[in-house]
Amino acid sequence: MAEIRAEITANVWQVVVEEGQMVAEGDEICILESMKMEIPVITEVPGVVRELHVAPEQVVQEGDLIALIDES
Amino acid sequence: MTEKPAKREAAKHEWGPLVADLAQRRERALGMGGEQFVERQRSLGKLTVRERLELLLDPGTWVEYGMLADHMDPGLGDRYLAADGAVTGVGEIDGRQVAVAAYDFSVMAGSMGAVGENKIRRMRHHAIKQRIPMVWLLDSAGARIQSTSGSSFAGAGDLFREQVAMSGVVPMVAAMLGHCAAGTAYIPALADFVPMVKGTSSMALGGRHLVKAAVGEDVTEEEMGGSGVHTKISGVADLEVGDDEECLRIVREYLSFFPQHNQERPPVRECNDPVDRRADEIYDIVPTAPRRAYDVRKVITAIVDDGDFFPMKPEWAKNVVTGLARVGGEPIGIVANQPMVLGGALDVNAADKAARFVWLCDAFGIPLVFLHDVPGFIVGSAVEKQGIIRHGAKMLFAVSEATVPKISVILRKSYGAGYFVMNGLAYEADYIVSWPTAEIAVMGPDGAVNIIHRKTLEAVPEEERAAKRLELAEEIRANIDPYIAAGHAQLDDVIDPAETRHAIWKGLHVSRDKQIDRPWRKHGVLPV
Repeated sequence: MAEIRAEITANVWQVVVEEGQMVAEGDEICILESMKMEIPVITEVPGVVRELHVAPEQVVQEGDLIALIDES
Repeated sequence: MTEKPAKREAAKHEWGPLVADLAQRRERALGMGGEQFVERQRSLGKLTVRERLELLLDPGTWVEYGMLADHMDPGLGDRYLAADGAVTGVGEIDGRQVAVAAYDFSVMAGSMGAVGENKIRRMRHHAIKQRIPMVWLLDSAGARIQSTSGSSFAGAGDLFREQVAMSGVVPMVAAMLGHCAAGTAYIPALADFVPMVKGTSSMALGGRHLVKAAVGEDVTEEEMGGSGVHTKISGVADLEVGDDEECLRIVREYLSFFPQHNQERPPVRECNDPVDRRADEIYDIVPTAPRRAYDVRKVITAIVDDGDFFPMKPEWAKNVVTGLARVGGEPIGIVANQPMVLGGALDVNAADKAARFVWLCDAFGIPLVFLHDVPGFIVGSAVEKQGIIRHGAKMLFAVSEATVPKISVILRKSYGAGYFVMNGLAYEADYIVSWPTAEIAVMGPDGAVNIIHRKTLEAVPEEERAAKRLELAEEIRANIDPYIAAGHAQLDDVIDPAETRHAIWKGLHVSRDKQIDRPWRKHGVLPV
């Protein structure tokens, strides 16, 4: 399982994927909003989105878990 | 008459055995650590030290120093250590000389012996006398504890002090080709450029066995100080490469951007890529909507000669992109904000990375090109605890100090101190232009509205507040316009994004003979 974590304190603006969805390397998982910028959060591994821990308008802190990707 | 042949026979010289003995000694030195250890080196996926030198240097240019060296340590008995584990000499890269110190892991794990270190000292002195770059090929377990475990250590350490004195005078490259600990981990820390081979190289202040004994941690060399750690997390190394061969090619390529020393100009290459080439692809790369992300590396490859970009620390602090390229054949150092990562906002590591890169380019006369798209430094308690002020000040310091030609292109946003550290007009920018999308201000309208109109907004009923905030932000936004900055002549021009390459070349062209005099000082007091 690959963990995707927030790299910056931010608001969750959009969640792009759903649990169970297949993703390829470089796909967007969600888009954060911080420093007045849209900050895409991408997966560096392909796989299935097993868990999603964020919803729109939620605040995430640096290091918070956003999603778990099952690489198998 | 008959006696003549006999006379000739008697005159036959006696050099035969001496020359044969010398040839045998040379042969033995070239055999490195002997078959068994050379085989082991290969089985680890590494090249031998001699093969590495062949790949690093132009053919036939190698002049070796101290090939016949041995350990000369009575404590090690009659054991033979070829070249005392450190092959040294001078060779050429693209026809220019470099001094080389190459540790041989097949000889007692490349440990640093007294004779080997004397040889390397000689190379450092040679490099500085001749004003030529120095290259270390590092594959060494560190100090030879067998010979130096006592307090004669008190006299050691000149290698680092001398390296500090060489810094910024001649280029220094430390290629990581094996597991290096302690002494051989500080050499790269003090060098300008550090490529690391993935899987076979590492650097750590303490090797695996020492770490286990000293702090009880059970960890592999790779986990502790492999290329994954140092190119992605710690930022100590500059590039991760696939194998020895790629590593040595990268060292040659890196040096091609640099002069031999700090009083020579960087080498200009012949260039067939027209300096006024339009880069229309930028229209499709960069969204005009300021909040939208894109990959600034695509902008860089669109504007530099032949799309060739040599990234420095590409996997660490990815919110700022640094690297070398050429425009019109002339080497340049690029510092670009990366909107794709953290929105391009600057944090402690980005400031660190950019400051060091600016110092590197400034030391060797390589002009700097700044591509702005920065919402500012990240704010908040998390970054304050990391010392963002001190790191931000470091970048400010480096950019202020730099006296090389400094060119700025403002692509979209450039806010607050982000504008300053990216070489704003006040930082002795030699040519500063923007795209029509540029936003230069102390802060963005959405942030400013809450400060300027805080009281007005509080007075508005809550249900109308959001609309009012938007309306007031739009008023502020109307004053953030590149043509206002251009109207004040605070921008030298506003350009079509497709003309960016040409604009950079113009900037280089007009600032070529830049001279800046500062009041004498020993040195500034650096924020680090």
